[in-house]
Amino acid sequence: MANIDLDKMLEKIKGSQWALADIDWDAPGADRISAEQWPKLKAFMSDLMWIEHVGARGFAAMAKKAPTDTLREIYTYFHAEEQRHANAEMALMRRWGMLDGDELPEPNINLRLTIEWLDRYSDDMPLEVPGSVIPMLEIALDGALLKFLLEEVDDPLCHEVFEKINADEARHLGVDFHVMEMLGRGRLHQLAVKTIGTVANPKLILGVLAYAPLLNKMRDNIVAMGLKEERLYEAMNKYERIGGRTEEGRRNPWFQIISQHGKMVVNRSHPYHVPVDALVKLTGYIPSRVVGPVPTWVRGLTWRTTA
Amino acid sequence: MTTVVNKSKTAPSRKKTTRKASADPVTQDSHVHEVLIVGAGFGGLGTALRLQQDGIRDLVILERADEIGGTWRDNTYPGAACDIPSNLYSFSFAPNPDWSRSFSGSGEILQYVHYLADSFNLRRLVRFNQDVTGLEYNEREGVWTASTAAGETFRGRSVVMAQGPLSNPGLPKIEGIDSFKGKTVHSARWDHDYDFTGKRVAVIGTGASAVQIVPELVRQAAKLKVFQRTPGWVLPKPDFATPDWNRVLFRKVPASQAAVRKALYLGHESVALGIVWNSPLTRVVEKVAEAHLNAQVKDPWMRRQLKPDFRIGCKRVLMSSDYYPALQKDNCELITWPIAKISENGIRTAEGIEHQFDCIVFATGFDISNAGTPFPVRGVDGRELGSEWQRGAQAYKSINVSGYPNLHMTFGPNSGPGHNSALVYMESQIEYILKAVRVLRSLEIKALDVKLHVQARHNREIQKRLAKTNWNSGCKSWYLTEEGFNATMYPGFATQYARQMASLNLRDYALIRT
Ligand SMILES: Cc1cc2nc3c(=O)[nH]c(=O)nc-3n(C[C@H](O)[C@H](O)[C@H](O)COP(=O)(O)OP(=O)(O)OC[C@H]3O[C@@H](n4cnc5c(N)ncnc54)[C@H](O)[C@@H]3O)c2cc1C
Ligand SMILES: [Fe+2]
Repeated sequence: MANIDLDKMLEKIKGSQWALADIDWDAPGADRISAEQWPKLKAFMSDLMWIEHVGARGFAAMAKKAPTDTLREIYTYFHAEEQRHANAEMALMRRWGMLDGDELPEPNINLRLTIEWLDRYSDDMPLEVPGSVIPMLEIALDGALLKFLLEEVDDPLCHEVFEKINADEARHLGVDFHVMEMLGRGRLHQLAVKTIGTVANPKLILGVLAYAPLLNKMRDNIVAMGLKEERLYEAMNKYERIGGRTEEGRRNPWFQIISQHGKMVVNRSHPYHVPVDALVKLTGYIPSRVVGPVPTWVRGLTWRTTA
Repeated sequence: MTTVVNKSKTAPSRKKTTRKASADPVTQDSHVHEVLIVGAGFGGLGTALRLQQDGIRDLVILERADEIGGTWRDNTYPGAACDIPSNLYSFSFAPNPDWSRSFSGSGEILQYVHYLADSFNLRRLVRFNQDVTGLEYNEREGVWTASTAAGETFRGRSVVMAQGPLSNPGLPKIEGIDSFKGKTVHSARWDHDYDFTGKRVAVIGTGASAVQIVPELVRQAAKLKVFQRTPGWVLPKPDFATPDWNRVLFRKVPASQAAVRKALYLGHESVALGIVWNSPLTRVVEKVAEAHLNAQVKDPWMRRQLKPDFRIGCKRVLMSSDYYPALQKDNCELITWPIAKISENGIRTAEGIEHQFDCIVFATGFDISNAGTPFPVRGVDGRELGSEWQRGAQAYKSINVSGYPNLHMTFGPNSGPGHNSALVYMESQIEYILKAVRVLRSLEIKALDVKLHVQARHNREIQKRLAKTNWNSGCKSWYLTEEGFNATMYPGFATQYARQMASLNLRDYALIRT
């Protein structure tokens, strides 16, 4: 997977486009969701759909920073594809009777905060930051959550849809890790200087305050669904394994930061969890009206196949 | 002085003038004209006009359409207009005091072309419905032959390629483009019989034509979606109706119009500092465009979608004061998702949704032959210009090519104005052609062929200067070939271009006598 040819990748992406209209949303099997599963699944899908959004907004920021036209175009597609995943997930929710009319699912507060941060500050971050964080979110949340979902849900259409989504995600991860290695290729001291400059940036600290509780919150959600949190950790370890495969990958200071952080997250006895779990609790008290208005691009979300 | 009579602001009547040419039976015109011209737009007609004034009367103009006018005959979409003030977008040798607006619409410009043709008696020179399919030079005779799709041939001592830089509509390469069952329209081939009222309409492209079409269509269509790939820089357009006193003044004191033209010319020249090169002024012009965006668009996400990532001037700068407001109308939507394919009922974008339409408008510009020629051109020893130009077009002073004696072109390689009126550049080209044709007469020689090393030296110089311009600063545009070679633009002020074209130096040419 290392060192992919980005031009070929772009062609592959263009050739692999699919649309909601390709799927028969009324196919039999919708009734295979048990009454007991239903409320948990609804909460889960709402979060999942907003995690796609975090990815989407991240890719939108990366498109603006991309060092080449090809990469810019790839990120523009990825941005759209994450939106497609969110749209398809909404269509599934709709199929399962979890959405009324044009109503949007409610994201949990930690997701709201993360999206809010991305919307305000991600365009100001150097490519290294979203370029290293987004892969973690994709591999851990997106990737792991999807697996759980497929184990839990019997509806064959759900499997069909996530097969398509997973195929897209595989390409995203391929490019993500390629770029992480690319970003580790500079002179070491330059990388360090740039990193320190960014770490000290208060905007980034705000981002950390959103990102850290998000992971813990998702862990709690997973546990609430009766799933093993170890599955999340396995996925997070994968980040370290793939990202740290090559010398360049390991030299990327942002990779180091994110994977060190990942290690703390998966270690339940690490003191890290004391303040962060407190933050999760605390953020739970934030009334959603103070988070600021939802950005207008959210209006583009739809479960409808045509517009 | 004769002037354009029409003062109406409405679209012109697309009158079909009576003509004899197309009624002629298919004949081989074996007569060798002194000058053979391809295209009856500003370039072809302007050349004929000046040649005629100079006493060179044995001319023929081959035009593939059934009417004169070129760009302004073809681009009649709602809102079609010039981005250059009319007093500058006209020939200095045939001023029009009656322009109704500071920036004229396509109809009024077309009327000006008709006025040129009628008052200088040019129509009789035009052979209509003659689509040139090839040009070939006979070395022994020193004669060019043009073949046309109608199977006819025409001969000339000199030939002028004035088929226009933007005359062949281009469609984007989108999967399924032929499968759409609704109506499709290209901006440069507008269908005036189609009623957009109450329709669901898509506009693909957000370039110079789109920013003019969108504010018009949004008034008619029930729903308008604009598909953008790359946003461009948009400057406000100070368009206003010409006050009556102004027209009276221009009529009574023609010098006052010349003075206004001069002022406009210098104004545009100064903008070159910001647009052509990356200078402190570039940031200033960018700031103006950004302030324009911020003043007109309040929503942060939409601002983000509309803000260009490239340096201003890298692509053509757009001019419109009503484009941004139009995008924000309730029935309008800006779509920035990549287009995945076109289906029977609409456009599928990468976010997975099929946007359905009654009509798709392609405002996607033109096929540009900056790496080739629109039809085969054969010179000395059977050489072929298109293959020589495969890696990017090259010429001497944009007008002649070594190995193709007596062949001239308007808007040849590196003649493009980025910041000033195309007609200003065209006038320099026309005067140069005049000189070349006169030299053949006065020296009684068969042909002038630019020397290869002179042409090479010229191009080294041009490319060196281009490297320092904004066009070559790293964005994709139609100015560049696939490989990023700039065969289109002239790297400098219009004044510098005019100086380059001011003299024809015989030492640069091989004089062919027998
Ligand atoms: C929408 C639009 C807006 C523009 N706005 C501006 C502006 O604001 N300012 C500016 O300076 N320039 C502008 N231009 C550029 C414009 O093209 C030139 O200013 C000018 O009109 C070019 O004149 P021309 O005679 O060279 O070409 P054209 O006007 O294109 O005329 C060429 C003629 O040749 C004919 N022809 C083509 N191929 C053949 C063939 N094979 N055989 C026979 N005949 C043929 C065509 O039918 C046409 O009549 C604009 C162009 C477009 C399309
Ligand atoms: Fe995703």
